[in-house]
Order: sequence, then C-alpha cells, then structure tokens
Amino acid sequence: MRILIVEDEPDLLRGLARSLREEGYAVDTAADGEDGLFKAVEVNYDAVVLDVMLPRLDGWEVLRRLREKRKTPVLLLTARDRSADRVRGLDTGADDYLVKPFDLPELLARLRALIRRSASEVRSVIEIGDVAVDIAARAVSQKRKPVVLTAREYSLVEFLTLHRGEVVTRTQLYEHLFDENDDSLSNLLDVHVSNVRKKLGHDFIATRRGHGYCIEG
Amino acid sequence: MRFPKSIRWRLQLWYGALLVAVLCGFGFTAFHFEKARRFRRIDEELQVRVAALVVALRSTNRPVPSNEPDSGTPSQPGRQRAPGTPPLGELRLTPQQSALFGDGAEHYFAVWLREKEPVLRSPNAPENIPQPQSRDAAVRTRGKFRESFIFSAPVDCVLVGRSIAVEESELQKFAAVLAAIGGAVLAAGMIGGWWLATRAIKPVDDITATAEKIAAGDLSQRISTAETDSELGRLAAVLNATFKRLDAAFAQQGRFTADAAHELRTPVSVLLTQTQSCLARERPAAEYRETIEACQRAAQRMRGLIESLLELARIDAGQEPLRREGCDLSKIAADCVELIRPLAAKRGITIDADLSATPCRCDVGRIAQVVTNILANAIEYNRDGGCVRIATARTNGTVVLTVHNTGPGISVADLRHIFERFHRADKARTAGHAGLGLAIAQAIVQAHGGSISAASEPGADATFTVCLPA
Repeated sequence: MRILIVEDEPDLLRGLARSLREEGYAVDTAADGEDGLFKAVEVNYDAVVLDVMLPRLDGWEVLRRLREKRKTPVLLLTARDRSADRVRGLDTGADDYLVKPFDLPELLARLRALIRRSASEVRSVIEIGDVAVDIAARAVSQKRKPVVLTAREYSLVEFLTLHRGEVVTRTQLYEHLFDENDDSLSNLLDVHVSNVRKKLGHDFIATRRGHGYCIEG
Repeated sequence: MRFPKSIRWRLQLWYGALLVAVLCGFGFTAFHFEKARRFRRIDEELQVRVAALVVALRSTNRPVPSNEPDSGTPSQPGRQRAPGTPPLGELRLTPQQSALFGDGAEHYFAVWLREKEPVLRSPNAPENIPQPQSRDAAVRTRGKFRESFIFSAPVDCVLVGRSIAVEESELQKFAAVLAAIGGAVLAAGMIGGWWLATRAIKPVDDITATAEKIAAGDLSQRISTAETDSELGRLAAVLNATFKRLDAAFAQQGRFTADAAHELRTPVSVLLTQTQSCLARERPAAEYRETIEACQRAAQRMRGLIESLLELARIDAGQEPLRREGCDLSKIAADCVELIRPLAAKRGITIDADLSATPCRCDVGRIAQVVTNILANAIEYNRDGGCVRIATARTNGTVVLTVHNTGPGISVADLRHIFERFHRADKARTAGHAGLGLAIAQAIVQAHGGSISAASEPGADATFTVCLPA
C-alpha cells in the first residue's frame, strides 16, 4: 500500500512518515500544496493524508483539483474542528476527517479502514482457502497458525488479497508497494513473491505470464 | 409589579393627584362664584325693599293730613316720635311698595325701635327674628334666611328678609352637577393618563425585553428603534451601539480563543505523533534523540505562543503600567538591529540603519519589543538577499520610526488585517510563529498613545511606520 502525506510541519511529517513506514506502507511525502497535488495526481496512491493549512495551495484546493482527476481516498488533517469545517471537508470530497491533535493509532486505523473501503471490502479478516489475512492486525495465518511475513511481504499479500480475482500487473505492484525513495535493490518484486510462496504455498499466488500475478478469491 | 415601584403607577398617581387638585380648585371657584352671584342678586332685592320700606316708614311718620285719601299711606296713631313710645301702629305701603313684597309672601320685614321685639313685622315673618346688632354689615344669613337691614330714622332698624331654601337647594344641585362633571373628567383623565403612560413606557418595556434576551446570552438582539429622535429613541440607539460593541468584543474574544487553541493544536500533534511513533518499538539512540529534538522544538513553539498570549493579555488588561522614562528611540532601534542581524544574515538580507537622535519618553523594554517584532516581520516577509531599511526621525512633537523592506509586498486583503491577532499572510505554519508579533506591536504602541500603520503595494516593498509622542 502506498500512501502520500502532505503536511508542512516538518516534525509532524517525519513522525507520521516513520510510523506509516513501520506499518509497512510505502510512504511519499510533500511539504506544500503544489508538490502534494502534483504527486497525488501523478501516482495512484492507495490513500492520501492531507493537511488543510498548507503553503502555496491549501488543502481544500488540493482536494478539489485532485478530485477532478482521481478518486484516491483522502484523509483530511486539520486544526479546525468546527462542524462547518468538517462538513466542508467531506463535501469537497474527503473520505475521512481527523482533527489535530490526533492519536497515531486512530490515524492508522482510519487509514486501514479507508483502504479497505476503497477496495469494497467490509470485513477486516479475509479468508482465501486456508489462509486468513487480518488487515486490522496486519497478520497472516494459515490453518489457524500465524505465518511470519516481512512488512513488504505482508503488503504484497494484502494488496493481492484486496484485489483477489483480478490480475495485478507488475507496474501496479511497483506503484503500490514501493515509495519514491526505494532503491532498485529493495524493490525486487520477484524475490518477495517467491518468499511469500515459500511461506504460504506455491499455489497461493498464481503467475499470469506476460500480465502479472493473481490470488484466486 | 408592586405599584409604588412601577413608573407607570407612580405617573398615574401623580397625574391623578394633580387632576384632582385642579378639578377641586375649579369646582370650588365655580361654586363660590355662583353662590356669590345668587346672594348678590338676593341682597340687591332685599336692599331695594329695605329702602322702599324706609321710605314708606318716613312718609308714614311725616305729619300728614289724616284724611288724605289717595296717599295710600297708612295713618299712624302716634305722629310724634317720642322715646319709648312705639311710633308706629300700622304701616301703609303704596301698591308699588306692596308689589315689592308680593303676594307669595316671599319677603318679610321687621321693624325695631329700641325694643328687642320688633314693633312692626309682616305677617309672614318668622318668629323670633333677633334684632341685628352689628352696625357694620348690612346683610346677614340666618339659618335658611337671608336678611338685609339698615339702621335708619325714623325707626331704629329696618330688616327685610327672605328664605333662601330654594337657592340653597339649587346650589346643592349645582354642586352635585359640578362633582359629577369633575368625576367624569377625572375618570376620562385617568384613562387617558394610563393610555399615555402605557404608550410612553412601551419603548422602555421593549428595551427591557431586548436587554433581558441579551442578558440571557443572545448578543445578536437589537432594540427596534422606530422613532429615532425621541429621548427613548436616542437611548435605544446608544444601547444598540453598546450591544454591537459587546457583540463584536465577544466575537473577537471567541475568535481569539479559537485561534489560540488552533495554534496549540499543531505542536501538540507533533508531540503526540512523535512520542507515539517513537514508543511503538525499541529504537537506536539516534532515533530517540531525533524524537526528543522534535518534541523540544514543539515545546519551544508552544512556549513562544504562550508568552505572546500572556503578553497580549497583560497589555489588554493594562495590569502592568508602562514604565515611561526619558530615552532615545534611535538607541533602542540600534540595539534591536544588532540583535536581529544574525537572523537577517541567514537569508542574506542586509539591514541599513539611518538613525538620528529622537529623544522621547517611553517604556524601553516594550518599545524594543515593538521594533524587534517589526524587524522580524520585515525579514520574514522579505526575499532572500533583500534589504531592510530602518530610520528614525523627529517631527513636531512626534518621533517616527519607519521600517522599509523589499520583498513580495502585502496584498490589499492582508493589509486590512495585518495587525489582527493570528493573522498570517501565508495561512500556513512554515513561518514558525503564530501571527501575533504585529498585534503585540500595535497593542504596545497604542498603550503609549501612538499609532502604527503599514503601507504596501502587492509585488512591491512594504513600509511600517510607528509614531510615538515625544
């Protein structure tokens, strides 16, 4: 899952990015509205965390212009907690709204819910054969026994699970699993696929030659 | 509503009392005029008869031929007056005189010599008419009779009287009519007075109702002032202006509080995010250090905000009086320039100082803060490698400090709000300050009785001017 954070307070931006990366997300960052809008339009993020008060282009404007091009789920962050501001945010096209100061666990939970909803998934535990993927706990078990995956491996499984039954291209996987700072060594997709197969069985991920990968629902 | 406390009731009482007094005065006067008029007429009638009687008596007592046929005067047995002797046995009246006394026997008469009992009296005269004693008055009222008398020769006293029972009953009727009219006028007056008082008090009731709503917390209420020129209309206008200012002050206070809370949200977010993220797992020492540094920056920002807020609150409350002392504004400015030079140097901004001696009386610490805030603003909203010019001058009775900076300038919209609390041109937090610097500067300058203004054109330079009384 790849997420964009647009926030102008550097310490807040760093803290958020660190936490999200540790949760296994691929994280891009932008420190002003213009940069944020550019990235949000260029890349098909799984979610955008957007501050409202931004230099150059405020959050409302970024959201409005982004909505002309993309349906990416957006979580608005703002210091304004009047109901009129919340209404405006949701009406402009935000999918969720969080008032500063917020608790990090709540932000993470809301992000998970956003991503799940955008994949039209209402449950947080998805079962595929004998494998269960718990999106809330970010854990995978097989035959009720936990399977230890790296964050990258989990992200791969989660993304394929949320798009189960579809063929996911390598480009899509690159876009959603790796952020702008990942070097070429860490994004060796084949290595991650092979590791997941070792842990969950070779048939868990099917290869569609010339197209991509697929998990049968 | 206890009525002695109600203005309407008090007005009504006073009004009623006045009306009663006026009506009574008028009624009594009217009654007495009428009474006097009637008595005057009676007295004239009586006096005519007294005179006629005296004439008759004299002609009777004159020595006349006893057989005078057509004299009509009664013949008297005693022709000569002698003391102690009743001179009159009979009184003959001419028909003309008789007519005066009429048939209805309305008028009666009595005539005295020296005796207490009248020597002569008309048949219809009441019993026991006391002989008049006073020689001053010519008329008297005795019970239901009005009598006129004269002490005149040939007898001692001649009295003519008549009953005034009819007049008295008429006067009583007249009094009753007067009382009835007075009562009616009083009732009409009281009703009219109540209506007038109600009308006059109504705007006061309106004002009270509005003021009660405002007291209950609805500051948007205003008194409707249909009549603007009356006393109450002017009062309502004054109250409305007061309410408006109160409303604005409350709104400003509310906005200020909201802004202050808002400004604290971001550093608290930093603290929460950094600590929660950091504590999620074990980390190398460098990462802990990084987190603690971020927390420190957030805390310093909060400290700066709190200090600014307290400073503003102190100036607003006027708790700490200004410590005015003789000083030189140019020296204060020079010190501030030296302090702020490193900040300017970071962005390659040069500061030109053109400071001429400008003695004045002010609170040195506070004015230094004003200069620092304006300089910091001039550096922050400058372009890299730009320039700040600071100058002091003295014009008649005023010392003037101008700070001029190159840079993007101030938009017209921003210029209008530039001294408002928490106003920031860029709406974002990158600046690391809360937008209170110029507001504090303005508050301090105004506390000194001076003025501060900003001028700029978008895309051009900006100039801040501070005027202080010398």
